[in-house]
Amino acid sequence: MFAFIVRRIIATIPVMAFVALFVFSLLYIAPGDPAAVIAGDQATPQDVERIRQGLGLDRPFLIRFGEWLFNVLRGDLGISIFTSLPVTQLIKQRIEPTVSLMAVTLVLAIGIAVPMGVIAAWKAGSWIDRLAMAVSVTGFSVPVFVVGYLLAYIFALQLDWLPVQGYTPLSQGVWPWFENLILPAITLGFVYIALIARITRASMLEVLQQDYIRTARSKGVSQPSILFVHALKNAAIPIVTVIGIGIALLIGGAVVTESVFAIPGLGRLTVDAILRRDYPVIQGVVLMFSFVYVLINLLVDLIYTLIDPRIRY
Amino acid sequence: MKSTGGAALLAASGGLATPALSQGAAAKTLRFVPQANLANFDPIWGTQYVVRNAAALVWDTLYGVDDSLVPQRQMVEKEEVSADGLVWTFKLRAGMKFHDGTPVLAKDAVQSLVRWSQRDPMGLMLRALQNELVAVDDLTFRWALKKPYPKMLLALGKNNAPCTFIMPARIAETDPFKQITEYIGSGPMKFKKEEWVPGAKAVFERFADYKPRDEAASWLAGGKKMMVDRIEWVIMPDPATASAALQNGEVDWWEQPLPDLVPVLKGNRNISVDIADPLGNIGAFRMNHLHAPFNNVKARRAVLAAMNQEDFMRAVVGDDTKLWKPLPGFFTPDTPLYTESGGEILKMKSLDAAKKLLAESGYAGQPVTCVVAQDQPITKSMGDVTADLLKKMGMTVDFVATDWGTVGARRAQKTPPGQGGWSMFHTWHAGADCLNPAPYTAIRGNGEKAWFGWPDSPETEKYVSSWFDAKDLTEEKAAIAALNKAALEDVIFAPTGFFLSYTAWRKNVTGIVKGPLPFFWGVSKA
Repeated sequence: MFAFIVRRIIATIPVMAFVALFVFSLLYIAPGDPAAVIAGDQATPQDVERIRQGLGLDRPFLIRFGEWLFNVLRGDLGISIFTSLPVTQLIKQRIEPTVSLMAVTLVLAIGIAVPMGVIAAWKAGSWIDRLAMAVSVTGFSVPVFVVGYLLAYIFALQLDWLPVQGYTPLSQGVWPWFENLILPAITLGFVYIALIARITRASMLEVLQQDYIRTARSKGVSQPSILFVHALKNAAIPIVTVIGIGIALLIGGAVVTESVFAIPGLGRLTVDAILRRDYPVIQGVVLMFSFVYVLINLLVDLIYTLIDPRIRY
Repeated sequence: MKSTGGAALLAASGGLATPALSQGAAAKTLRFVPQANLANFDPIWGTQYVVRNAAALVWDTLYGVDDSLVPQRQMVEKEEVSADGLVWTFKLRAGMKFHDGTPVLAKDAVQSLVRWSQRDPMGLMLRALQNELVAVDDLTFRWALKKPYPKMLLALGKNNAPCTFIMPARIAETDPFKQITEYIGSGPMKFKKEEWVPGAKAVFERFADYKPRDEAASWLAGGKKMMVDRIEWVIMPDPATASAALQNGEVDWWEQPLPDLVPVLKGNRNISVDIADPLGNIGAFRMNHLHAPFNNVKARRAVLAAMNQEDFMRAVVGDDTKLWKPLPGFFTPDTPLYTESGGEILKMKSLDAAKKLLAESGYAGQPVTCVVAQDQPITKSMGDVTADLLKKMGMTVDFVATDWGTVGARRAQKTPPGQGGWSMFHTWHAGADCLNPAPYTAIRGNGEKAWFGWPDSPETEKYVSSWFDAKDLTEEKAAIAALNKAALEDVIFAPTGFFLSYTAWRKNVTGIVKGPLPFFWGVSKA
């Protein structure tokens, strides 16, 4: 197992190298100029050119890439063109809101979707099943920002139960922290719930047809025990896989959710950086997301071994 | 916010909830949603309006224009100018301090002016005329010129970016094309760098040692008395969220609500809505004078003859007629130098006349590469109207829908439209920048050195010089009338109309004044 983990971690190096080269090249050929944005609308072309030189953006691709890669290998993601702050500091400032949002969303989504999928499979064909699947289809169909605005309108503006926007760090209290995350987490989790619920239902339907479930029933094992102990564990592999894949969905959805609820997270940092062509920030964030995603895949593989003892690496 | 069941539950179970600020502190904190993200904070290096607006809190200026558009003394106690107009001597007010506790000295002003004058159009003119700029003693500095410069006080007090913000000399020594990293000024508020989260929040705290002038505040002039201890800029990229936050009392003042959302805000009894800046904005699109078809003045005139500014303005701000008016000229309406001289072509609205002019220009169906930023509602609306107009004129339109960052880069390309260049792009100018030619780079016709589009109009330039040399308002008005006419004849750019925008705030906030930037002094919160 240890050897497997080491091998997988080593395997991330070429992946990360490819991502680094790809992102850097893409930004190099992408239209747009941070110097023009910095200089402001009234600046002359000469001003823009001087700023571009000041930022070193007039240097050849290979020199810029080589310098950046060398710094990345030393753990230095560079300096933001716009703020003059280190990219690592910007990421550090933004990581807590995004991790909090994703964690709450994950807990909420799994907590709702797995029981929903299990019960839908158990009551397959009934109105409960149809209702669960209707919720699921709605989750897939309604865009994240529509859900966000709707929730904010109802629960913040009309009922005045929750704040419309913002983020309060966990250090300032559990409730203020949680209060700000409820609506964004429901918004972001909506599609995720739909995805997990459908997979859980499909997987459970298959397992519930197996002989050992019939045996358990004939032995008088209680229904909850059959569903959540015997069946769910055996149906878990595809569910865990989808949860892992779904993290990418969460990362993408966080960009929209953070904008709608004005949460100062990594998603908004990325969007702002793209709009301004803040190359070091875009490169740093994409590299970090890629690394996180590779790690999540590794984690999913490891969880397989816990769920199914037959799987060995 | 009302207290919630969840909060009570957590509190009862020993939850860790503690308010970030006490009630008193909250009342002294003004939460403001600016027009854009404060992504950098060097008002000389980056000249975006949002940077200028924040900088006005932190850095003071030597002079400041008041609401009559007259520069008044601010950091300067008195000035003297020699009889021949060549030597200006300025004495600073005594007792001013920077936020790091060091005194404001003449050497700081000199070094700040050196940096500013390498970036500002008026500063560049002053540098060209400069014999010397030196500190005479701790509080006095002298600026000696080769030729009189009647607009000196306007240059030092104007509110157009970059302003003459005074920094400690050691910071002002930074290359003006590189960003400063210490934000120390002598203005009424200190910048809390450690609380700055670019893209999310910027915080300003009252500077206890600030000594406001005795006069009443008026825009950038007079006593800048702060009525709140802390100002939090909350960046909200989504207008619907900002609107909801203002209605919910989570923020106190929203600088620039989207016109579509204004009716909702006006319907809320806790919110006041009013015109933000009487100087407004001037919509514009620029044609590339270097390449066909707009290298021919008749093709440019054809576009002016065909356009109906009302179409553009309704697309930008909607049907609220209080928010816009046609503008047959280039200068801000209802200001001393406003003129409609030569503006007849913009009143024609004649497709027939336009087609005739276009035919005379020899237009042979070349595609017009119209680069339109879709992420800016103003440029997107104007771009759609222009594309329709050009098609009606019989022109072939190559509509390039892109983002503002790309427009910013592409408009600097001088290559032909088919090779990465462009024929036309849209923008707008703050009315405060269009009061006179000093900050108005877009009106210049100095060819290679001109703003994007590179119009070459010696006649326009002649009258720009006349305005700079004008000794009184009568001479200035004459120069501007001739300039307006010449600039329209050569079609330096196409003005699409004059429009205003709203600002909105909670009714427990008082003291907000109309102006070209949000002035925080005198603003209090109950």
